[in-house]
Amino acid sequence: MSKTRNWKRLITGALVGLSALATCGSTLSFYEESLPTTLNPLYAASMVDHRVNELVFDRLYYHDPITNELASRLVTQWELVEQGKAVRLTLRKDIKWQDGKNFRADDVCFTVRAMLDPGTTSPIAEGYRSVFTGCEVEGKDQAIVRFTKIFHNPLNRLGFYVLPQHRFDGDAVPPDHDFSSHPTGTGPASGNLGSKQVNFQGIQNSHHQPSIAQLSLLEAQDPLVQVKTLLNNGVQGIIAVPPPYRAEVSTSDDMSLKGYDLRSWWFIAADQTKPFLKDKKVRQAINLLLDRTDLRQLSIGVKPGEQNSPCEFISGPFVQASPYYNHDVPVSARSDKDRALALLTEAGLTDVGGRWHYNGAPITLRIGMKAALDNEAPDLLSQIGNQLGQAGFDRQTYKLSEDEWNTQAITGQLSENYDLLIGKWSFGLVEDVNALFHTRRDGRGSKNIFNYSNPQVDALLAQYESAKTDTQARDAYHKLHSMLAEDLPYLFLWKLDTKSAWRTDVRGTTIAPYYYWTEIDNWKYGG
Amino acid sequence: MAADGARQWWIRPAIRLGAAALLPVAVPAVITGLIWALPGDPASLICPPEICSGTEQLAARWNLDQGPVHFFLSWLSDAASGDFGKSWRIQQGSPVTPLLLTAIPHTAALVGLALSLLLAGALGAATRVLPARADSLLSAVGLIPTVVMSLAAAAAVSINYGASAFDAEAVRVKILLGALALGLADSALAGAARGVRSIFESERQRRYVQMGILRGEGVLSNAWPNAAPAIAGQMRARTLHLLSGAVVVEVVLQIEGLGDLLWSGTLAQDFGVVLAATFGFALLSGSLLLAQAAVEIAVAMHVRRSPPVREVAA
Repeated sequence: MSKTRNWKRLITGALVGLSALATCGSTLSFYEESLPTTLNPLYAASMVDHRVNELVFDRLYYHDPITNELASRLVTQWELVEQGKAVRLTLRKDIKWQDGKNFRADDVCFTVRAMLDPGTTSPIAEGYRSVFTGCEVEGKDQAIVRFTKIFHNPLNRLGFYVLPQHRFDGDAVPPDHDFSSHPTGTGPASGNLGSKQVNFQGIQNSHHQPSIAQLSLLEAQDPLVQVKTLLNNGVQGIIAVPPPYRAEVSTSDDMSLKGYDLRSWWFIAADQTKPFLKDKKVRQAINLLLDRTDLRQLSIGVKPGEQNSPCEFISGPFVQASPYYNHDVPVSARSDKDRALALLTEAGLTDVGGRWHYNGAPITLRIGMKAALDNEAPDLLSQIGNQLGQAGFDRQTYKLSEDEWNTQAITGQLSENYDLLIGKWSFGLVEDVNALFHTRRDGRGSKNIFNYSNPQVDALLAQYESAKTDTQARDAYHKLHSMLAEDLPYLFLWKLDTKSAWRTDVRGTTIAPYYYWTEIDNWKYGG
Repeated sequence: MAADGARQWWIRPAIRLGAAALLPVAVPAVITGLIWALPGDPASLICPPEICSGTEQLAARWNLDQGPVHFFLSWLSDAASGDFGKSWRIQQGSPVTPLLLTAIPHTAALVGLALSLLLAGALGAATRVLPARADSLLSAVGLIPTVVMSLAAAAAVSINYGASAFDAEAVRVKILLGALALGLADSALAGAARGVRSIFESERQRRYVQMGILRGEGVLSNAWPNAAPAIAGQMRARTLHLLSGAVVVEVVLQIEGLGDLLWSGTLAQDFGVVLAATFGFALLSGSLLLAQAAVEIAVAMHVRRSPPVREVAA
């Protein structure tokens, strides 16, 4: 018996080895914004983490980047059961984990159990606890996933990455498990997290046939060094090229710029708990004082009237191409100082020697910005500070580290330290902004930066959540857009295009919105 | 008095040996106190309590829930058995020991090469092979800060090696360039050459050296026993300076050394990595103390074996 097992192991090992060899081509190296913090999808915290997950794992369901339809590489059939509160999934039988073991229904149920287990100390898992109640295996290839309630489109809730049960001892998945740096997935490449780079090896599977044998992810250097290294063919790609360097890339015959649909928009969050910002007239005045056209020119380098600008103004929490964007709400491209002064005076602020005072004391705005944004929009923080300074507000400016942003800003703990925070949100095809604007309670409003609370906004968010059709969802978000543009918990700035640069000898570069690598199987390089 | 001093020759080496033994425990203890005083904690970074209910569980898993003493003692008992735990953040889930074992040789090579440069300069200055007029040139080069030299080297390596910047060859180049930056910048070489030249020039004026020269003996062989303790002390101070400079060089040039480990661990509040890196630095510092103590003991032995000098009445 044990001899048979040994033979099986040997054969499986050989097959996995051969499948790795079967992929042909050279190593494709690219610069990312930073190194991933983890390769465990349950602990992904940054955009880099999310992108890397797509290389190593498969989501149970995903949106096809070409057809935009919900698809699955793991599931062959699904049906609603238990009066719509559960789905029965029939899985493909021919898929293997990257270590050669068979992918089974146990793995899907393990992933659901892992997310429900309190020992999995992950904010992502926490989010799924309000979606799932459990999972039951029916034979090797069928699983019943149970929901907390009937969802309008239950498959949209199954966009999680499936983890291998055999890599863990129990249901809990702690962050410091070896899996976090040496994961096993069913995705197109196996990953190995190093301290300076991440190496991926293409793995052939029945549902993935990547042409690229190896990928190497490097941490971004100075943008100029990145571009020079790309020109030198030291690397073959840069995931995000800052706008000031795009001209140099586009003039070279060896490189091309590729659009990366991140659906990301920039904002300035305003703390409404501050006495002088409580009155929406003050927020509206500050919104009118900002000259976005000048800001865009001075920071990103877009000249007024420039065609095909990478930066498009917005008036609400969606990009203009989104179906949720309400085009009836006008953008504010230029400042309107007269109206702003009138609003400030109406709100009870007084102008003393050219400085704005509230209740007899001068107002000093403490403005923070996520430091990493400085690469994309250099000097934006100072320029915003300057415009507000010229309008009569004293100001202090600060930059926040990634950790400060993730653990303090997003979690609503910076009210004491800042009055305005400049940030950026990125979305995939599902632009759910409920977590940003809902009152923070019962797990809702988990990304509400200054703990904004407006019952009317909450009602609209609930309307979106309970929408049964796309039209209902769109109507709710159109109203939300309009209401937020009036109430201004955020001063909405712009959508800034994200562009990747790839050398022209890298072919078939279909870049999926948000997840980037969904279609890596079609990429070709060398060979 | 002189006789008392001769009898108590062992005190300094003994203190150095004691310090060398204590450093690997004392430094991590102090660092634990410091990182504990910093705002925030690693468990909250991974599982912020506002959006994640497992913060306390994670803190308990990492021994962060019962104060710094409990945390340090748990770390110490594991470290004593060679287990430095796992990285929490910078290379999540990876054992720290291999990170440490990779880092120590890189830092040792970087500092060793830079120190060799300094020793060569010191030897040149002692033997007058390196003329005094070279000091001003070395001082001029030494005006460039380490960080500037390292940045220039990092850009050159990045552009030339690209994705291969972490291959063995590129790592060797980075260590070599880093050692040059470390040795030349911030007046490291200039200081070493000037310092040793000053000691030896002063010894050269001493009567016993002049007598030795008249007897046809070498300057170095006569002056060395007297100059050795001072030079050993100076070199230890310079090596410590190189060790702190190594942090800058490693971070800028992305050399996977102790300094880089310490820097990234501190930024990410990866306590296990920080303590292991400081332990590594403490080991290197301790070994310098051991070397200095060995020189002092050797000189003392040499002096005890030499014939006593008698005062001759005029």
